[in-house]
Amino acid sequence: MSNYSYIGKNIKRPDAVNKVTGKAIFLDDIKIPNMLYAEILTPPYAHAKILSIDTSEAEKMEGVVKVVTGKNCKFTYGDCIKDRYPMAVDKVRYIGEAVAAVIADTPHNAKQAVKKIKVEYEKLPVYTDALDSLKDDAVLIHEKNGEYWHLPSYKPIPNTNIANYYVLKKGNFDEALKEAEVVVEGEFNTKFGSSSAIEPHGTIAWFHEDNTIEIWSSSICPAIIQDDIARTYGVPASNVRVHIPEIGGCFGYKSDVTIEQTVAYIASHMKGYPVKWVASRKEDYTSSLIGHGARIKMKIGAKRDGQLVFIQSKVYHSTGAYADTGVNITMAATHTVGVYEFPYALCEGYTVYTNTPPVGAFRGYGYQYAHLAVERLMDILARKLGMDKFELREKNYLRKDKKFATGEVFNEDYGDIKKCSDAIKNIIFEKEKPKEDENYFYGRGFAAVVKAPKGASNSSKGCYVKFNGDGSVSVNMGGAEVGQGLRTVIQQIAAETLKIDIEKIHCYTEIDTQYSPWEWQTIGSMFTVQGGRALIRACEKAIDKLLENASLALRVDKDMLEYDGEKIFLKHNPNIFVKIVDLVRGYMHEDGVTVGEVIQATSDARLPRYSNPDPETGMGNLGVSYTFGAQGCEIRIDKKTGEVIIDNFASAFDIGKVINPVQLRGQIVGGVMIGIGGTLYEELKFNKDGRLINPHFSSYRFPTIKEMPKKYEVVFIETPESIGPYGARGIGEHPVLGVAPAILNAIYDAIGVDLYEVPISKEKMLELIKDKTKEKAGV
Amino acid sequence: MEKINFKVNGVLKTVEIEGYESLLDILREKFNLTGTKRGCDDGSCGACTVIVNGEAVKSCIFSAKKVDNAEVITIEGLAKNGELHPIQKAMIDSGAVQCGYCTPGIIMELYSLFNKNLDVDEEQIIEALSKHLCRCTGYESILDGAKLAQKYLKEK
Repeated sequence: MSNYSYIGKNIKRPDAVNKVTGKAIFLDDIKIPNMLYAEILTPPYAHAKILSIDTSEAEKMEGVVKVVTGKNCKFTYGDCIKDRYPMAVDKVRYIGEAVAAVIADTPHNAKQAVKKIKVEYEKLPVYTDALDSLKDDAVLIHEKNGEYWHLPSYKPIPNTNIANYYVLKKGNFDEALKEAEVVVEGEFNTKFGSSSAIEPHGTIAWFHEDNTIEIWSSSICPAIIQDDIARTYGVPASNVRVHIPEIGGCFGYKSDVTIEQTVAYIASHMKGYPVKWVASRKEDYTSSLIGHGARIKMKIGAKRDGQLVFIQSKVYHSTGAYADTGVNITMAATHTVGVYEFPYALCEGYTVYTNTPPVGAFRGYGYQYAHLAVERLMDILARKLGMDKFELREKNYLRKDKKFATGEVFNEDYGDIKKCSDAIKNIIFEKEKPKEDENYFYGRGFAAVVKAPKGASNSSKGCYVKFNGDGSVSVNMGGAEVGQGLRTVIQQIAAETLKIDIEKIHCYTEIDTQYSPWEWQTIGSMFTVQGGRALIRACEKAIDKLLENASLALRVDKDMLEYDGEKIFLKHNPNIFVKIVDLVRGYMHEDGVTVGEVIQATSDARLPRYSNPDPETGMGNLGVSYTFGAQGCEIRIDKKTGEVIIDNFASAFDIGKVINPVQLRGQIVGGVMIGIGGTLYEELKFNKDGRLINPHFSSYRFPTIKEMPKKYEVVFIETPESIGPYGARGIGEHPVLGVAPAILNAIYDAIGVDLYEVPISKEKMLELIKDKTKEKAGV
Repeated sequence: MEKINFKVNGVLKTVEIEGYESLLDILREKFNLTGTKRGCDDGSCGACTVIVNGEAVKSCIFSAKKVDNAEVITIEGLAKNGELHPIQKAMIDSGAVQCGYCTPGIIMELYSLFNKNLDVDEEQIIEALSKHLCRCTGYESILDGAKLAQKYLKEK
């Protein structure tokens, strides 16, 4: 047993009371005097030239103060590729694109007026799938592809719809083909989906007359918004103030700059007035970021004894009308090969423009597409080899001195996949499977997973720690709380490190770039690892400063002193001490003369030696901090309805160190549920004209409480990590990774059909069951 | 424009409304009761749930006209004298709060459910909660919270 006072304890969230009383302030709750409201016009076509825009009727409507078009827009933006206009200039590339906007005194008046804008279009061919945009005769969605500014590591291919090509090469692949004795392959597809936070995305932008700009957004990347808006409008970044209120869920799509640039562009036409735009549910689907859209053709080669030899894949990612961070998701889906060592790898990723809303982050960040392919193929390979699926996997699990496909060498402190896998084997596979009966087929499936963060190589998280006069402590960081519970983690780590009662640790609430320390953005399951480490560093610096002050107060060398959270005392004589409260503002001698520093400390932390990929091989330190896990399920398939019922979904993760068990379980089962949605229920459906046919919660139906598994089981393995605080690892995204392959493997186990595409609806299941029954009957 | 009178959290209000306005519109825009959340605009997520004459209703699809002379309770009306309502306390104690955006609607749903019958079984609780979407929790802790709330209310 550990001797921790706060680490590993179920401390309650500091923000919960405000959330249950309705006092938590989200973006749409913010009202500013003189605020105006924007309504955005989107096109009826997914790909078309704009011939003319007539705003005259709209301008005459009640309450209208301005109608804005993209006609004079001179800039494009993007974190990684600057391929995006804040408002369409001469053509539209997807159905959610901003064509014009009305600014009015009320949302209602703005909505009425926007209907009066007349636009003439000339339709262009529409592609909703990468495979169509890649055809030789496809028209270009971006005529300027290759000319936009992009990160040096990106490779757009001019005169094609390929926004980026990435390749990972490990070993001489000609040898791989000779060495392999058995090959399995499959073509996998993860259709479009949506993060679908219950809070729609929104932004308020306010251009002041003194050339400062204020932005409020339900975003997790205030610092990137600050830099991007400053660059766009030619003002110092210090003139741009970004506020982040409470965020009503994220799951990916509120990362990176998206709607903020459009709302800012609109507001820049009404200097002096705050302009608010909040997405309707429909606009949240059509005009922010969507997820997935990834096809993977994959081959795995092995020796007859089950030793893996190679992995080969081609990823075709429909990135939507604008690529930007979609490229990173393609890259992650391409260089991810699961929890196994492959001596040879040749993995190619194509990020392809399509006439669909831009694809962005969605919990899992591309790793889930690769895991679907790898973990299905491992089951198929085991069958082909006549091997037990666990025996095959165990033979090839990454362990000490083995190499990831990216070339990184596995360290034992990366975690223990075997322990996770054993835990799931025990829970799901040790007992007899029920036999098929009149009503149900029964199946069990397994998947092993691993993920590292994906982010900018200089990604870091800043921290300010301030001691107050009474010895309490205020912690200020730039991490966006989206529900994951980072505020609780901050309190626990600070209280543990400073040896101070947790009641005396205050964690920041809103983020404001005017006061908050710099953080790249709160993504990639990285906050606990990076932010926790930054916090420990700041706490240790503060303790060191307290020791300095105590050294002056007690007239003794610093190394003779010890800190216990309440006082600093002489190691050899604890009776001689000074209280912390007497050191916080410097130490004041009896005559009022004060010496020493005020106790406040700053720090930051990034992933050590995290790097960009090598331009030739695609390899590099692209992971650094990994979390391994295993997932398994017991399912039943209803013969009459085709419904897949999950009787148990079990997850085991090597979390390194559990900081807060209740929050951790909440993250894991919540992630599993998003995975279940993506596997069985959720698909954004575009018709051939690029129109989204289900942009509502009532038609994009993600699971309700009725679709909850009958049982969730969660196991924590604790192999301490060297980077994270108290040995902890990241967990935010990992629980979604194994869900689709585990369920699809269970479906094979139940009905003997190999599936390669998600989601699989109950209607489709029913067809499969009917085919199967006919087959059995010999029809 | 039409004038209506109704009680919100025990306080009498008179307000002029437009025909197109929903109860959610007037609660949020006219009375600044922003604890009631807008999630979908078509009654499918439950984030906007409030109590009208004892019944849980989805205020985004509930015409403002219909609350004339009614009693409305919103999330802001539950905590009394600085003390959380037992349902609020239970949601915190069970770890059912993550982003918190669906939370007020779920609490109001349970408030109506338990007010009508404190002896509902798990199936009835699930039926009531199935009107609400939550994207964070996977629902496990919300169901635990509902059952804990029932226990707290019975002990009261």
